[in-house]
Amino acid sequence: MRYTFVMPMTVVGCLFALFTYAQDGSKMKFGKVSKEEFAIQRSEKDTGAHAIVLSEIGSSAFESDGNGLRLIYKVHRRFKIIDPNGYDVATVQVSLNKSEAGEERLQNLKAATYNLENGQIVETKLESENVFNDKQDKSLMVKRFTLPAVKPGSIIEYTFSVTSPFFRHLRSWDFQGKYPRLWSEYSVAIPEYFDYVLIPQGYEEYVVKTKTASRTTFSLRSDASGSMASARSFTVSPQVSTYKWALKDVPPINQESFITTVDNYVNRIEFQLSAYNWPDEPRKPVQSTWPQLMKDLMESEYLGGVLKPNNGFLSDKVEELTKGAKTDADKAKNIYNWVRDNYTCSNYSTMWMDKSLKSVFNSKSGNVAEINMLLVAMLKKANLFATPLLLSTRANGYVYQFYPLYTHFNYLIVGLNLGDEYVKLDASEPLMGFGKLPARCYNGAARMLDEFAEPVILGADSLREQKYTSVILGKIENGMVSGAFAQRPTYLESFGVRAAVKEKSIDEYFKQVTKSYTGEISLENKAIEDLKELESPVMIKYDFKMQMGEGDILYINPLLNEATTRNPFKAMERKFPVEMNAVYDEVFSFNMDIPDGYEVDEIPKPAIANYNENEGQFQYLIQQVDRHIQLRCRVRLTKANFTPEDYPSLREFYDLIVKKEAEQIVLKKKK
Amino acid sequence: MGKLLSTGLALLLCMAAPTAKGGDPVYPAKDIPDSLKKDAHLVRRIDETTIRIIDETEARVIFHYVTTVLDEAGAEDTEVMLFYNKLQDIRSISGALFDAEGRLVKRLKQSDIQDVSGAGGGTLMTDTRIKHHQFNYSVYPYTVEYTVEMRYNSLFFLPSWTPQAGSDCTVELGKLTITAPATYALRYQSYRYNGQPVVTTEKENKIYTWEVKQLPAMKKESYATEFYRRTPSILLCPSDFTMGGFKGNLNTWKDFGKFAWQLNEGRDVLPDAIKSKVATLTQGLSREEKIKALYRYLQQNYRYIDITLGIGGWQTFDAASVAANGYGDCKALTNFMMSMLKEAGIRSNWALVKAGDDEHSFEADFPSPQFNHVILCVPGEKDTTWLECTSNTLPAGYLGNFTDNRPVLLVDAENSKLAHTPVYGISSNEQIRHITATIDSSGNIDINASTFYTGLQQDHLHDRLHSLSREKQLELLRKGLDFGSYDINDYQCKENGTTLPSIEEHIQIKANNYATVTGKRMFVVPNIMTRSGRKLEEEGPRVSELQFEFPYRDIDSASIILPAGYKPESLPQPVTITGKFGHYSASVSLKGNTLTYIRKIEHKDGIFPAADYPELVKFYGAILRSDRSRLVLVKE
Repeated sequence: MRYTFVMPMTVVGCLFALFTYAQDGSKMKFGKVSKEEFAIQRSEKDTGAHAIVLSEIGSSAFESDGNGLRLIYKVHRRFKIIDPNGYDVATVQVSLNKSEAGEERLQNLKAATYNLENGQIVETKLESENVFNDKQDKSLMVKRFTLPAVKPGSIIEYTFSVTSPFFRHLRSWDFQGKYPRLWSEYSVAIPEYFDYVLIPQGYEEYVVKTKTASRTTFSLRSDASGSMASARSFTVSPQVSTYKWALKDVPPINQESFITTVDNYVNRIEFQLSAYNWPDEPRKPVQSTWPQLMKDLMESEYLGGVLKPNNGFLSDKVEELTKGAKTDADKAKNIYNWVRDNYTCSNYSTMWMDKSLKSVFNSKSGNVAEINMLLVAMLKKANLFATPLLLSTRANGYVYQFYPLYTHFNYLIVGLNLGDEYVKLDASEPLMGFGKLPARCYNGAARMLDEFAEPVILGADSLREQKYTSVILGKIENGMVSGAFAQRPTYLESFGVRAAVKEKSIDEYFKQVTKSYTGEISLENKAIEDLKELESPVMIKYDFKMQMGEGDILYINPLLNEATTRNPFKAMERKFPVEMNAVYDEVFSFNMDIPDGYEVDEIPKPAIANYNENEGQFQYLIQQVDRHIQLRCRVRLTKANFTPEDYPSLREFYDLIVKKEAEQIVLKKKK
Repeated sequence: MGKLLSTGLALLLCMAAPTAKGGDPVYPAKDIPDSLKKDAHLVRRIDETTIRIIDETEARVIFHYVTTVLDEAGAEDTEVMLFYNKLQDIRSISGALFDAEGRLVKRLKQSDIQDVSGAGGGTLMTDTRIKHHQFNYSVYPYTVEYTVEMRYNSLFFLPSWTPQAGSDCTVELGKLTITAPATYALRYQSYRYNGQPVVTTEKENKIYTWEVKQLPAMKKESYATEFYRRTPSILLCPSDFTMGGFKGNLNTWKDFGKFAWQLNEGRDVLPDAIKSKVATLTQGLSREEKIKALYRYLQQNYRYIDITLGIGGWQTFDAASVAANGYGDCKALTNFMMSMLKEAGIRSNWALVKAGDDEHSFEADFPSPQFNHVILCVPGEKDTTWLECTSNTLPAGYLGNFTDNRPVLLVDAENSKLAHTPVYGISSNEQIRHITATIDSSGNIDINASTFYTGLQQDHLHDRLHSLSREKQLELLRKGLDFGSYDINDYQCKENGTTLPSIEEHIQIKANNYATVTGKRMFVVPNIMTRSGRKLEEEGPRVSELQFEFPYRDIDSASIILPAGYKPESLPQPVTITGKFGHYSASVSLKGNTLTYIRKIEHKDGIFPAADYPELVKFYGAILRSDRSRLVLVKE
């Protein structure tokens, strides 16, 4: 995936200049912009480059503020703006956190725009009055600015630093984004007092990846928490390890379909504080193992801590719900159903409790963590073995398994051990059945929030989605054919049907069904069965009368509306794996008696196609026996994830399906 | 002591929610008549809006709502969102949640109110912030009650009153009361409200009262007119008012314009560098060429950035700051363009506009702040030129459906007046497509399509060309066309740069199995790329008028070469329909193995009576079917 630049032929000199520039992205100096940089064009291959990151250099290091250590994050970025759609890079926002322990500060902000006017570089500086402070809430301030005099062809740059008292907030660095980057570099200098775990991801190769050691002297003041007199200055010279990474000519990365999230594939380095090594003190680990992390989270008042008290306020309700329940499973179902039916989820992306358990219980609402924590507490109250499970939803990206990181989680569900069965529960979705989870949860491993911190695997490969459809065609009268349709959609589709019915009505649902047919059709005996049986898929049934045309010849597509008419794999090529949210198996069955007065002129040929031997199968089995035509059509995959190399054949496989499912039965009036 | 305390508490509770007395049920859901539950998700039990105009500088407004949420679909609309800034501040918010029986579940706690910045998204900075609150509750039905007190430091922003919050919201009782000094000329206009307000006098005040009862749910209807015209609404507007130290009145459009002019007077001073730039750019050019040259300069060097600070968002940043920063919002860029034209000796006016693709309704006989945008009008001897100064791409003089065909207010020192933006007629909005295609014996098709789009029919493509990279455009094409499986082999667009914009598009597509081959037969849909997807339902009695924003014409011709050795078994019959909404025709003919397909549609614009709806259903239904009709070929 090398990135190549195409230069206008007349400026051959630039080609060399560009090459050296890209080499020297690391040597960028604020305010020193060369004319050669104005000649840089986007690559012909990537017309999506509305802007180009000429160079970006970031660093994180520790400095003394006179009293103690602070984290200093510095960044310097320079962009070339290609066209107005790249103006977004000229607007910058910096988030600054604040807590009782201290606050982050933005310092040394400089920003300027350079335009080439009549062969001269004209600089326009950002005025400080155009930097806005936008207070979000008491713990977050956003500084915003946009650069002046920006036009197509401008070069802009900015630099600033953020000092932070939060050692856990050693900032991560993305080497890749929506625009190409000629040079992206990050260095991190860590004194021996701190251990951080480095978590890398991404596909592109680093051109610089070094670690060097040196000593740095810091002037500090001893803990002044005692009397004023006891504060004294001293210096220390710890060993400092400096890591440096750089990527050159990084291609942009964009959203794709059939993927968890492309965020999983961005080149990135993340950090997690794992221990303090203060001089003359024993090493103090910070959540360096999964059990250690879970132990801390179990203590946290915003998470596991809420399960520690007796939570007596739940007793009456739990007793009421479990009274008369014979088995543990029945007890669990009663509690689950009650929580699911009575609580509204206000936020589906968090693992933290914002409110106390009691306040959640009383207010009948909460975020996903709060609602499911309440469920855990109530199940426990009924003496059932329930544990919170932390996970990251598909859109939130994978969880790094080799080092414990709570920051990767954004969701909480419930694991319940019923002895002979282990079920996973999510009470935040009002239409989710007992033991069922939304597709977003199937993203690899969830972790149990208990002392063992075992992973619970939730792979998309384990989510089996089946669909069965039956169509029976009956008589033809006055050009109208009558028939009966019955379908058990997949569980996820059933969830969608339930949601649609709840949002609108059954009538409205069938109106949409009617609308989905091109020709004139009328539906009768419409019903959706098992709407309330949330553990099962629904069953959709209706009889129909459909316009067939009045000629001597009738053309019938046996799949009616159920035919796959479009290949879901649109793009010609694919760089990333195909990640579907479940394993699909769909069966369609069709039966008809040839109406009196007609005979078969032709029917499609039967066909079977296997995909990669046993990874998928398409069957189109059709036969005529006497005056009866029968079709069984099945599309089945045996896994959810496919490699980029599988993509072309997967696309072909679906092409075949689309083609075959369009074929027609032709009936002719007997002469 | 204990007794005293509890009395005090009771008093406090009464004040917080005046209707909640002791343990009495409040608006139990069972009291809602069936007529108000039909097709509804929300029932507004009461909407009491009380406005007290103190004088021309200040008003106090109390909103009091009691809403029963019937089901989950209604729940999301119960969120309270309140915008506030220097000109309108929130004095208090109280609220309570009641269960189905009307028993108090909980009261709103001030700490539950979220207070967020109004900036972010497309806005770099604003001094408006937002408070919001929602009782998340999921045992239906339930009832929420809110009382919000606000102070308006300018009457300019007096709220309008539409008790029905949406088509699925019914209203049991709505009441608007306005108290104003008898000497103050209150201005109002009502829609779908029978009669006049009741006016009483109390001391030196006049009290105006409007009341509505038992408003049923409305059906969701396609192509309906704007919502405020379909439900009882009262628009309010001040006569005399002040805003940020400026005085004005809105009795006439002339007065309105004068106020806007005053607020922005003297903000058109250009720095010398820009003055000489204007001189250089316009030297030796005709008037028309000067306008174009300056507009092009604006488009290439300045960009739109939304910063809403200062007097109600109505006073512009001056021309010098736009020159220095290279950006501005719609006012700042329009003002800057006006200043440059002035420097070049060309007079122009701000044109205040209610912008939006579906926002063509305007109350021309009720001068009031209906605007959300500003463009520039350059009046000429023969032709008036209109300039959208926030666009980096539109041709000079073309507006597009964001601001076309509607009244606007031309702002002038003494002579402000309404004008009308350009109307693009049917011949301005065309899509003319010619296809040559070849189908092979497996049903695969090679398509060469050339399409010529003009006017409002090219807006969408224009945006696409200018806002998306070629890769993204191709990606959309790969996803968006109506073929089972296909690749785009070539795609080119050429903008013609005419005042009425037009784009020529050439696209080559290879679609697999376009024609279905089953044994000896082949099925071909001759309408390859212009199949209408509109299918309407008979909705029972229709209430709303039908509104179509603009007229258009599509002409398709296709010449399709079929594989040899087939003869037709069935050919679609020609279709011709002419009616109130326009004209449609399609025909297929076969000569040798060349299939010719011709299709034409002319769709009218305008407002049509509700009674015409069945005809529209038929019209679209016939088009839908005709566009999908196919011919059947049999091997010879």
